[in-house]
Amino acid sequence: MLERRRWLFAVAALTPTLAIFAWVRLYPIIETLRLSLFKWDLISKKQPFIGFANFSQLAGDQRFQQALLNTTVIAFGVLIITVPLGMAIAGLIHYRMGSRLASIFETTTFIPYVVSLVPAAMAWKWIFDARLGPLNAFLGLFGISPLPWLFDPMLSVVCVIVLCSWQALGYAVLIYIVGFRNLPVSLFEAARLDGASGLQAFWHVAIPLLKPITLYVSVVTLVSGFNVYAQAYVLASDSQGAPGRQVRVLVMDILDNAFRNYKVGYAASEAVVMLAIVLLLTLVQFSLLRERGAK
Amino acid sequence: MMETDQNFRLSSTARRLGQAGLTVAALLLGTAAVRAEQITVWSGYPEMAPFYQHVADGLKAQYPDLTVSVQAIQLRDHEKRVALGLSSNSAADVLELEIGTATRYMQNDLLAHAPADVVSFVQDPKNFNKFFGDAGTMNGTVYGVPLFRGQSALYYNTDMFKAAGIAAPPKTMDDFTTDAAKLAQRDASGNLKTSGWSLRLSGGGQGIAEKFWINMFQYGGNVAVEQPNGKWKMTLDTPEGIKTLSQYLQVVWGDKADSVEFPADSDAFERGQTAMFIRESWVIGDIAQKAPNLHYATSTLPMGSIVSPVDLFVTGQGKKADEAWAFAKAAASPENQLWMLDHVGWLPNRAGLDYSALLAKTPQLAAFVQLPADYKFFSLPNIAPEDEFMTGIADRLTNAFADSSLQGHPDKIENVLKQTSDAAADVLKQNDLLDE
Repeated sequence: MLERRRWLFAVAALTPTLAIFAWVRLYPIIETLRLSLFKWDLISKKQPFIGFANFSQLAGDQRFQQALLNTTVIAFGVLIITVPLGMAIAGLIHYRMGSRLASIFETTTFIPYVVSLVPAAMAWKWIFDARLGPLNAFLGLFGISPLPWLFDPMLSVVCVIVLCSWQALGYAVLIYIVGFRNLPVSLFEAARLDGASGLQAFWHVAIPLLKPITLYVSVVTLVSGFNVYAQAYVLASDSQGAPGRQVRVLVMDILDNAFRNYKVGYAASEAVVMLAIVLLLTLVQFSLLRERGAK
Repeated sequence: MMETDQNFRLSSTARRLGQAGLTVAALLLGTAAVRAEQITVWSGYPEMAPFYQHVADGLKAQYPDLTVSVQAIQLRDHEKRVALGLSSNSAADVLELEIGTATRYMQNDLLAHAPADVVSFVQDPKNFNKFFGDAGTMNGTVYGVPLFRGQSALYYNTDMFKAAGIAAPPKTMDDFTTDAAKLAQRDASGNLKTSGWSLRLSGGGQGIAEKFWINMFQYGGNVAVEQPNGKWKMTLDTPEGIKTLSQYLQVVWGDKADSVEFPADSDAFERGQTAMFIRESWVIGDIAQKAPNLHYATSTLPMGSIVSPVDLFVTGQGKKADEAWAFAKAAASPENQLWMLDHVGWLPNRAGLDYSALLAKTPQLAAFVQLPADYKFFSLPNIAPEDEFMTGIADRLTNAFADSSLQGHPDKIENVLKQTSDAAADVLKQNDLLDE
């Protein structure tokens, strides 16, 4: 009787939270999956079922393919920069800087993460400006002619990667510092006794022990990379006096299809494809980086 | 005794709850009463905010308790919020919309039908000519009150023209190309310092396709043409289209009188970074604010211009809708229309206006209101997928403008235009609008 009452109490206590979770998380996902099989223009009452027609149209959509390519390049570009650099900076902060300076460097590294995205992107837009930007001025000191950072198809993607990495790095460093602080000191002492240098201890001891942290950081960074939108939007906004090449990314394509082209079902199918890709990549990361159980 | 105490506590609590409930109800009623006296206006042109406020001020005598909240944001974001607002019944009371954007909403009857007095007002030829009166009408139902239109002309820097020895603005498209080459200025390193002709070459949105169509129109061509059956035929990959794209490439890659990354449009013109560009009349108001000392003039285009009507639409019913219609009618009054032209720069759709005082004050308006008798006009397709249609063309043209290998190769140019035309035709076909 007491067990049943406890169980009922637990269910009653969890129900509101689960209900809210289901409403704001599960329902939108299920609805998106459903809408991807329908044709809907957002404003009419008719939603005819069309099966997988949206997906087959996606396969031949050049703009979607461009958006997918750009987003994938940006996401992996940010991952490749953020994870190793974040680990290296966290290691330096943890091992080399001493406790007072460490907190200063931690704070400085974390500031880009908390700075508001839009003003930060506007500042980077100025940095990348082809005529007046300090980056081209700096490159000019070495005899390099000005580059059209925000106009060239490849360079504009690089600009988005730089901006996203600059913002994501602080969070990665913070998480890695927590990881470093929780590593068992005895293993490093043992390594030192065995004659390992600092770098060898870092490479052969710290990095393997930080696998769970690396898994978390890489999953979060990759998912965040696939959700890139505001950075691409602000860096190359279609403000008519300050033109830039608009780097087409998946979220932008989804928003355009849904709310400018009034093709909500089509946009939902794009979202489903994006969900599938991100899930697949997350599973791959888990299988590569998770801790194996002891035999 | 205890029971009496409990009853006393319960009745005391009930009384307090009742008092709290009454207070809340009174507050809500009071708030609702205040809300009924406010209408909200959504606009996609931030420069129009002072105009709407001016209209609201003028309504004070008739509606002393009415407050008008104007929310003006950039056009592309405005279009998204209208889409979301109308589909969720949370749109503003008054919506300013280009006819191309409003078409879909009129087709789905999501906008309020104009009451009888507004219908008479809109359909009276003394107030609006038939083109503008019919623009906000669908299937015989009047939805919109005509407000202003986008119409293009050439802006040119008279100091730069004089310095380059050019006596008059270009009269043919060949003149545009040769003048652009003469007007471009370079610094000591040979880098472009002032563009000869600011073309719309990059950035997202349909504007690139629109500006391309304006130029193509001067060659006698159109991107697409409506057929008698109401469907559309693509006419982009034609000799006129090839000439237009060739001209862009000649200016950018041949004469290097403009470039993709060079500052462009009204901002560049106001900063003295370009000698000429083609744009709508709102730039006159913008220059008056940002570059009042700029020496410039305007000129009509060789063949004609685009006309993009913008109307005010109302959502909802009841008292608020009545006030919203009154606002829309007031915005289209002769006094307010002339105020709009004088202070903002957009061209009024109202007929029979006397522009003489404004022309004396701002002679640059002449290129917009004193037109040659044979001046021709075109409008963007008044179809539901207009934005998708034009944006798709714009995306491909952006790539073409940045491709130096196309310059001087008409066969490659034709190929690019054919691919662009085919992709745009697909959009029409998906919406059963392609004339095959």
